[in-house]
Amino acid sequence: MKKIFLIAIVALLCFSVFAQAQSEKAAAETKDVTLEWWTWDPEMIEQNKSIIAAFEAQNPGVKVNNTIVDSKEYWTKLRIQAQQKRLPDVFTLSSGYIEEWASEGLLRNLDDLVKNDPSLFENFYQPIWDVTKSIAASDHYYAIPFALVNTVLYYNKDMFDQAGIAYPTDDWTWDQFLDAAKKLTVDKDNDGKIDQYGFWFYGRYAHAESFVFANNGSFVDRKTMRFAPDANAQKALRMLTDMVLVDKSAPAQQDMSALKNQQVFPNGLCAMWVDGGWYINDFKKKSDLNWGIVRVPQGPDGGKRVTYAWPDSYALSPNTAHPEEAWKFAKFVAGEGLTLDQFMAGKIPAYKGLTESEAFLTLAGEEHRADMQLLKDMASDEMTTSYTKGWSEWRGYGAADSMGLNGTIDGITNGKVTYDKAMADAETSINKVLSRYYK
Amino acid sequence: MQKTKTYKWHSWYTPWLFVFPTLIGLFFFRFIPIGASLYLGFTDWNLIRNPEFIGLDNFREMFADPYFKLIVWNTLSLTFWYVVGSMVFGFLLACLINNKMKGMNFFRAAIYMPVITSSVALGIVWSWILGPRFGLLDILLTKVGITAPYWLTDERYALGTITFVQVWKMAGYYMILFLAGLQAISSDVIEAAIVDGANTRQRITRIIIPMLSPTVFFVLTVAIMDAFKNFELIHSMTHGGPKNATNTLVYDVYLNAFMYYRVGYAEAIAYVLLFIVGMLTLMNFVIKKRWAQPLE
Repeated sequence: MKKIFLIAIVALLCFSVFAQAQSEKAAAETKDVTLEWWTWDPEMIEQNKSIIAAFEAQNPGVKVNNTIVDSKEYWTKLRIQAQQKRLPDVFTLSSGYIEEWASEGLLRNLDDLVKNDPSLFENFYQPIWDVTKSIAASDHYYAIPFALVNTVLYYNKDMFDQAGIAYPTDDWTWDQFLDAAKKLTVDKDNDGKIDQYGFWFYGRYAHAESFVFANNGSFVDRKTMRFAPDANAQKALRMLTDMVLVDKSAPAQQDMSALKNQQVFPNGLCAMWVDGGWYINDFKKKSDLNWGIVRVPQGPDGGKRVTYAWPDSYALSPNTAHPEEAWKFAKFVAGEGLTLDQFMAGKIPAYKGLTESEAFLTLAGEEHRADMQLLKDMASDEMTTSYTKGWSEWRGYGAADSMGLNGTIDGITNGKVTYDKAMADAETSINKVLSRYYK
Repeated sequence: MQKTKTYKWHSWYTPWLFVFPTLIGLFFFRFIPIGASLYLGFTDWNLIRNPEFIGLDNFREMFADPYFKLIVWNTLSLTFWYVVGSMVFGFLLACLINNKMKGMNFFRAAIYMPVITSSVALGIVWSWILGPRFGLLDILLTKVGITAPYWLTDERYALGTITFVQVWKMAGYYMILFLAGLQAISSDVIEAAIVDGANTRQRITRIIIPMLSPTVFFVLTVAIMDAFKNFELIHSMTHGGPKNATNTLVYDVYLNAFMYYRVGYAEAIAYVLLFIVGMLTLMNFVIKKRWAQPLE
C-alpha cells in the first residue's frame, strides 16, 4: 500500500513538471513574437513590469520577458549566453564592453535600423549615439544609449561663501582652481590636522581622466593602442598629484580610506570634487549640503572643449529573430516609453523628450535649476571616453582598484613611489595587458 | 553439521540506492568541475568564445609575473600566521572557558559569534574601526598620544591586519574544538599527576598537551584549509591592495576570472593553489602519523 502511494506521489510530481512545460509552450505559441530583455537592477522589477505592460499595450502581438540578473553576476551569465549564441534580444550594455563585444560579433550592427529611422535623431541626442561609435572603435552603431553619464566639478557653496571666494564658473582656469583649492584648505580647530580640504581625488578614472581630457591629453595612444600618456596628460596628472604632495590642498588617498569616495564631499571634508553627475541622486536627500556643479575646468592646453562622458546603453543580439520588434522595444526602454522617475537623478536621458522637459530642470529642486540646465547642455557637447579592451584590468576598476593605473596614482599621492618611477612601471605593466588585446 | 546462516535483510544494491543521489551531486558539482578546471588551466578562455588550448602559456606567464611571487608569499604567510594565531588563541580561550564558573555559557556564545557572522559584514565593520583619522581605533590611540599606522593601506601592516581579523573571527571555532579535546581528558589522570607532585607547567606540558595531540592535529588540518578562505575579508577590506600587498591566490583567482575575464589563467592559478593546499595537507598527515598519540 505504502509502495503504491509512493509511486503515485512520484508520478504526480513528474506529471506536474511536464504539464508546466506544456503550458509555457502553449503560451508561447499563441503570441506572435516574444522578446527576451535582460537588465541588471533588481530594484527595478516592478518598474520593468509596468514598462513592459505599456509596450505590450501599444504593440499587440509582442510579448516581452524581462530577466533581471544582479550586476555582480550579470556579465558572467551574459558572456555564457553569448558563447552559446543565445543572447537575449535586448540587453543592457555598459560602455566598458562595447568594443570587445562589437569586435567579437556579439552585438547587432544597427546601421540599417538607424538609416531606416529618419526621425531617430529628432527624438534622441545624436552626440550621445555618436560617442558609442568611438567607444566601439568603429564607424558603426552598436549601442542604443538610454542614459548619459558625465563628470562635473561639484563645489560646496557654503565653504566658498565662508572663504569669500566667488563660485567656480565654466571659464575657470586651472590656476584659479588651484588657488581656490589652497584657500579652501582649512584647519578649523588649529590642531595641526586639516579639517577641510580644497579638493579630493584619488586614482579613479572619473577623477584623473576628467582633467586629462580637459587638457586635450590622453593616456592611450590610439594609433598604437599602447599606454603612452602625452605631455598634456602628464601635465594634468602632475597638477593633481602636486595638489597632494606640494600644495597640500588635497588629501592623500590613504587619508580618506576610512570613507567611501562618494562620502568625502557630502560629509563636508572637501570643498570641491570631480566625479559623475549621478551623485546628484544622493545629494537630493541631503538637505544640509549646499552644492553646485560646473564643467571641469579647462587646462592650459585645453583647446576645444570636450566632455568626458559615457552612456549606459542597450544592445541587440546579433541573432535576434525579430530585429524590427527588438529595435522598437529598445527605443521604448531607452526613453520613448519612460518617465523621469525611472532615471537616477544626474544621469542624462538620451531621449530629448525627457531631458528637455521642465520636470528635468527641477529634478533636484528649484534651487538647482541652473545645475540641471548645465547637464542638459552637456548632452549636446562633443564627447570623449577612455575605454579600451581590457580596461578594467589596466585601469584598475572595481574590485581591482588597488591595482593598475588606479593603484599607481594612489601610490604617488601616498608618497610610496615617485611620479617618474610610478609612471615608468605603469607603462610596462599596462602595456603587457594592452598587448594581449591589441597585437 | 550446522549450516552457517547469513543475516542479510537487504539486497546488495540497497546501500548504493541511498548513496546514489549524493554521488550524482558529487559527480556533477565537484568531480566534473574539478576535471574541467584542470583542462581549462591550459586554455585561454574569456567565456565569450570557446576555450582555446594554449599549452603551458598560462603557467609561463604566471611564473614570469613579478607580482606572482609576492602573491604566493602572501598566501603562505597568511596561512602560517593564521594557523599559529588561531591555534594558540583557540587553545588559550578553551583553557579559560574550561571551567564551571557562572556565566561561562555567555562567554562561549560571545566568543563564537564572529564565527557565524558574515565575513563581508565583519570586513566592513573592521574597516571602519581601523580606518585612518575617522576610525574608532585611530581616535582612541590619538587621545592617548599614539599615531596609529595605516593599518590597511600600508604594505607593511595590511596583510598582518587582515590575518588578525581572520584569526579574531575564527578563534571561537577552534576554541570549541580544543574545548572538546580538553574535556575528553579524564580528570583521574590529572588528579594522579597532582598526587605524584606535578606542578601546573608540568601538568600542561607533560600531560594535557600530549593527550591533546590528536585534537591538535585535527585542528591543524582544519586551520590550514580555513586559512585559504580569505576571499571575503580581502574583498571587503582592501581589494588585494595596496599594490598586491594583500593579494592572495584566492583573490587573484577571483580578479582574473570575474574582473578580467581570463578564466583559463584563473584556473591555472587555482591549480597552483590546489597544489599548495594538497602539499600542506599531505605534510600534516605524515607528521600526524609519526607524532600524534591516539588516546587508545
